[in-house]
Amino acid sequence: MLDFFIFILLPVLSAAFCFFVKDLKTQYSISLIVALLHLGLSLLVFLGLYNTDLPTFFSTDSLSKLFLLILSNVYFWIVLVSYSYLKRPIIPKAEEAKKYYFLLLNFYLASNSAAILSNHFGMYWVAAEATTLSVSPLIYFYRNEEALEAMWKYLFLVSVGIAFAFIGILLLTLSAKGTPLEGEQLFYTTFIKNASQLNPIWLKASFIFIFVGLSTKIGIAPMHSGDVDATSNAPSPIAALMSGSLRLTALIGVMRIYQIIRPTSSSEFARTILIIGGLLSLFFVFVYMFKVKNFKRMLAYSSVEHLGLITLGLGIGGLAFVGALYHSIFNSITKIILFLMAGNIRHNYNTREVLKVRSVLNFMPKTGWLFMIAFLAISGIPPLGLFFSEIKIFEGILFSDKPYILALVMFFLLFIFINMGKAIFNMLYKNGDGEQQSYKSEKFEFSHFIAIALLILLTCIAVFSPNILFENIINIAKDFGIIL
Amino acid sequence: MENVLSILFCLSLFYVIVTSRVKAYVTVLQIQGVLLSVLLIIQVIHNFSVYGIILPITLLLVKVILIPRYINKVISELEIKRRIEPTIQQMILLPIVIVTMITIFIVSSILSKNTAMDVIPFASGFSSIVVGIYIIMFRKKLIVHVCGFLILENGIFLFGTAVASELPMLIELGVLLDVFVVVFLMGITLNRISSTFKGFEVSHLGRLKD
Repeated sequence: MLDFFIFILLPVLSAAFCFFVKDLKTQYSISLIVALLHLGLSLLVFLGLYNTDLPTFFSTDSLSKLFLLILSNVYFWIVLVSYSYLKRPIIPKAEEAKKYYFLLLNFYLASNSAAILSNHFGMYWVAAEATTLSVSPLIYFYRNEEALEAMWKYLFLVSVGIAFAFIGILLLTLSAKGTPLEGEQLFYTTFIKNASQLNPIWLKASFIFIFVGLSTKIGIAPMHSGDVDATSNAPSPIAALMSGSLRLTALIGVMRIYQIIRPTSSSEFARTILIIGGLLSLFFVFVYMFKVKNFKRMLAYSSVEHLGLITLGLGIGGLAFVGALYHSIFNSITKIILFLMAGNIRHNYNTREVLKVRSVLNFMPKTGWLFMIAFLAISGIPPLGLFFSEIKIFEGILFSDKPYILALVMFFLLFIFINMGKAIFNMLYKNGDGEQQSYKSEKFEFSHFIAIALLILLTCIAVFSPNILFENIINIAKDFGIIL
Repeated sequence: MENVLSILFCLSLFYVIVTSRVKAYVTVLQIQGVLLSVLLIIQVIHNFSVYGIILPITLLLVKVILIPRYINKVISELEIKRRIEPTIQQMILLPIVIVTMITIFIVSSILSKNTAMDVIPFASGFSSIVVGIYIIMFRKKLIVHVCGFLILENGIFLFGTAVASELPMLIELGVLLDVFVVVFLMGITLNRISSTFKGFEVSHLGRLKD
């Protein structure tokens, strides 16, 4: 029961604590302790040193262990940086938002852990809706018009999307009519075991509804708009949290239904849908990058791109499936660095327009260099993590039954890289006209320390490739019935 | 009996399509809440348990009293004008809805040949989901969008009873709580929107574009 307490109850208690204690520093310390405990225990669970004993509706398997670790990792760094972020002078109107910041963060942790650990579709749905509720007030942190609009759109679109996912879950019960599963509860485990007996028509319908509904939350095209608006207008730590972990929490729902559909005759159908979703996301990002104006929005689109790539990898299967799982780890880490550095730039220049930001490398050398390295990482330059996972995905596509997809993917990624690079190098290098050249040295901030630590972590995971991680991912592939 | 309630549910959908008053939407939400609760109570009577009565009572409380009251409060606080301002006139939307419903009923009766299910509640639930989406698409006021979302949720609930999915009590209550909090948050956001943008229509939300 200790695991249930630390993963779900403790964040809830800590949220309640933050409601009553108004002092920001105390709230920060408590949240940090909770985050640290969460990270420690999920690491122990991942390493197999702690056997979980969760109550009904919750359980762990290789997939949830991996995603729980990703969530804990992202959440820990974000909480760590939050205090220095909140200490920055911001517009007076946003002061009241600080009061609820840590409360909502704790609530976010509890609901995300519950969603990832759930082994029942109903429980997953309740928890996934709760994640939306916890994150949408955080989007409206700056209390300006854009943020308000983004929050409304996110809340509304995702709520409707999740309602669709609920229809999908109901259709899944319908697919069990007339099989031994009739009248059984909606546990993943029982459904996966008896998947071949399910009614294929309802199973397909269920997959479509769950995929389309959750893709509003994952940010897969063409349902990505609410997600992109939210990520680009939220404060940087929240944007990093959304890109790094919230999207994966939604992805796990799709992966569960995919796991059920894999051994059945409808498997090919589900694969095709995932592949189309992934390619469509890449295409939308490819088009957007030609007219990029706002750098935070650009990063939000980059998340759409990478989640698209992950979905594509899952759909292709084989080595691409393994690559996709690696990709979700590396992407989550890189996105934290990118968003934190983008937040520093936004804070200093007080704009999000690409054209108004000039010679970052001169004015903010530390932020500038880290931003550049993180950009190179996200573009898949070795030895920075994403290179290895992308190579695996590409290899998987090449040796699959649809090798021609690789040409399309390469084409999209190349142009995304060029256009994104153009915008970012303009920000970093280009001097403004008639600017006085008095550069003051930038202070070493806490966010720089975190960025460096994360870069080291990213490179270490990629270069040393821990055996335990590899085994875990292979186990997930086995659970999905993927032949490597 | 379930079929009668489902048909009444469908009639409430027609009313919501032809009305042009915002308050009527709230009334329809209340009527639908009562119908769903009665449906649940009938099921409980069939195999009675004290435990089973919790859900219909909570449903009644949330869908008939709390949410409609809250929406009415938001409407009067924001002094929203009574008319809904459609983008498509009611008399054009009505035939579209009728055609959609007929299609849904025919398709469900065909599908029911292979799978055992209650056709009328199934089709009524699905119709309600589609009508909810139509309302979100073809109405300008954001508060009406919230009502559309709730009609969609009610549809899903009816749909759930039709496919006889018995989710555990804990989860059903969780779903209700989630829906209530969503509406609560949407109300707060609407309040902010009306004070920031001096209006509460979709046309005010056009800042975020690529």
